[in-house]
Amino acid sequence: MSIAPLLRKVLMIDLLKGLRVTFKYQHPKEIYTEQYPLERPQIAERYRGLPRMNVNPDTGETLCIACDLCAKACPEHLIVVESERDPVTKRKVLTNYTYDISRCMFCGLCEEACSTDALELSQDYEIATYSRENLVLDRKRLEAGPEPTEYTR
Amino acid sequence: MLNYLTGYLSNTTQTPGEAGNFLWALIYIALVFAGVSGFVILMNWGERKLLAHFQIRLGPMRVGPHGLLQPIADAVKLLTKEDVIPDQADKTIFWLAPVWVVLTGFTTLIVVPFGRTHAVTDMNIGILYMLGISSLGVLGIIMAGWASNSHYPLMGSLRSSAQMVSYEVAMGLAIVSAIMMTSFTAGWNGSGTLSMVQIVEAQRIQGTWFIFKFFPLGFVAFGIFAIAMIAETNRAPFDLPEAESELVAGFHTEYSGLRWSLFMLAEYAGMFAVSSIAATLWLGGWLRPFPNLLAGKTWDMAFAMFPGFLVLLVGFAAFYNAARMPKHPALKPQTIGLWALGVIVALVGLVLMIPAVALRISDIEWFVLKVGFFMYLYVWYRATFPRYRFDQLMKVGWKVLLPISLGVLVVTGIVGLTPEIWKWMGGAK
Repeated sequence: MSIAPLLRKVLMIDLLKGLRVTFKYQHPKEIYTEQYPLERPQIAERYRGLPRMNVNPDTGETLCIACDLCAKACPEHLIVVESERDPVTKRKVLTNYTYDISRCMFCGLCEEACSTDALELSQDYEIATYSRENLVLDRKRLEAGPEPTEYTR
Repeated sequence: MLNYLTGYLSNTTQTPGEAGNFLWALIYIALVFAGVSGFVILMNWGERKLLAHFQIRLGPMRVGPHGLLQPIADAVKLLTKEDVIPDQADKTIFWLAPVWVVLTGFTTLIVVPFGRTHAVTDMNIGILYMLGISSLGVLGIIMAGWASNSHYPLMGSLRSSAQMVSYEVAMGLAIVSAIMMTSFTAGWNGSGTLSMVQIVEAQRIQGTWFIFKFFPLGFVAFGIFAIAMIAETNRAPFDLPEAESELVAGFHTEYSGLRWSLFMLAEYAGMFAVSSIAATLWLGGWLRPFPNLLAGKTWDMAFAMFPGFLVLLVGFAAFYNAARMPKHPALKPQTIGLWALGVIVALVGLVLMIPAVALRISDIEWFVLKVGFFMYLYVWYRATFPRYRFDQLMKVGWKVLLPISLGVLVVTGIVGLTPEIWKWMGGAK
């Protein structure tokens, strides 16, 4: 054995190097853990999470014109748009809208198809629920938007 | 009666055992037992927390502020757990094993000198007694592995016995070289001793810690002991007897609840015992650092204050962390708890800084600081080094540590006896 590797072994250089690395990791700024319910991660703006239906902020009317493009764009056919024609204005009026997120893969094609920016995938990711029925969102819940869970501890 | 009680307090030269004071010996036994148990509880939290920080995690954070009440939660969990004894186990030995391990773990602590007067007793064979009793602890581990009547525990205890035998040799030789140093001051002085208290006294009289004596001989012997003691206590990277990824939990696989926690208690008590041997033999036991360089009454007082000051700093760290706590209503009780803890710790620090108290018990504080340093090392190693293979373990023990410790022993003897050798050669001429 030549002298350099022998010295390296005898002086335990590699072990000391390892100790140095772990010692440095103790610095509080290195900590990677996130205390989830108290601290929430920064979600990317284009994250595709729970869907939301936008309303006109001034009048509170829905932006949806019941064109059915989202339902047609959906590869899973999980969107059902129900509408009726207004006899006076001859325009289609949205009556109900269901969105089944139990089958949704959050591809965002519905969002892209929407011509009025009414349907949007929000940044909410807390989707867990106690029953399958809760996963089928109707118009009311879609318009109300995400309801973040409040954890007491 | 009252005289008997208070009479010992002014005794600054003898341990209760030496003074023949039965009552104070009992009080010291209770203090050591309570102190070490408290230390185990603290270490339970400290190890998880330190290990987490080494691995860039946070560790326990939910039970109490910064997880401080976690040991209590753990204890409650362990005590309420079902106490399983396997059907095919040897019930008597299965029952006896954890008791035996704890018994030996705590019996060794009788001779640990926390200060000149702060030990239960001072035996003239103190270090030998410690080694003997702590070796008996292996028997408990073998009993546990055998009585479980199961493969993994048996393999764990086999590994454990092989490992103990291998490393006790190197460890013993390193200790012998330190004991030899007690009798060398410019040649043979005839005052060699095995007593734990006298070993530290020898370091005080010779004015050097044995880690620095005959540099680098003391340092190498200390290094060998520092490695062997990790193997002796079955800690990473030598934790083969309880290797999680290979043997589930080794010798205590079949143990649960209270019995398992007894094994944990014994492990930490054992860590404390070997660390205190290392501190006593090489790091000057209860002596403060720099007694020659920074001598004098003022420096004595300053160094006596230092541990109390450290405790005060811990208190302020608690304040700092309480102020930094996220402002969330759910965290309010924890924040208040941390403030309260900070106040208590800071008060303890202030009490320790009262001059009379500081001078009387600063030796205990220094000793605990040195042992605490070893505890930190234990966790640091565990966070850094991967586990050795069994053949590597044996190779390190027999082919590396044993020859080096033998060499150190011989060279220490020669260096220590150099004046005699010169005299003898002069006389022969």
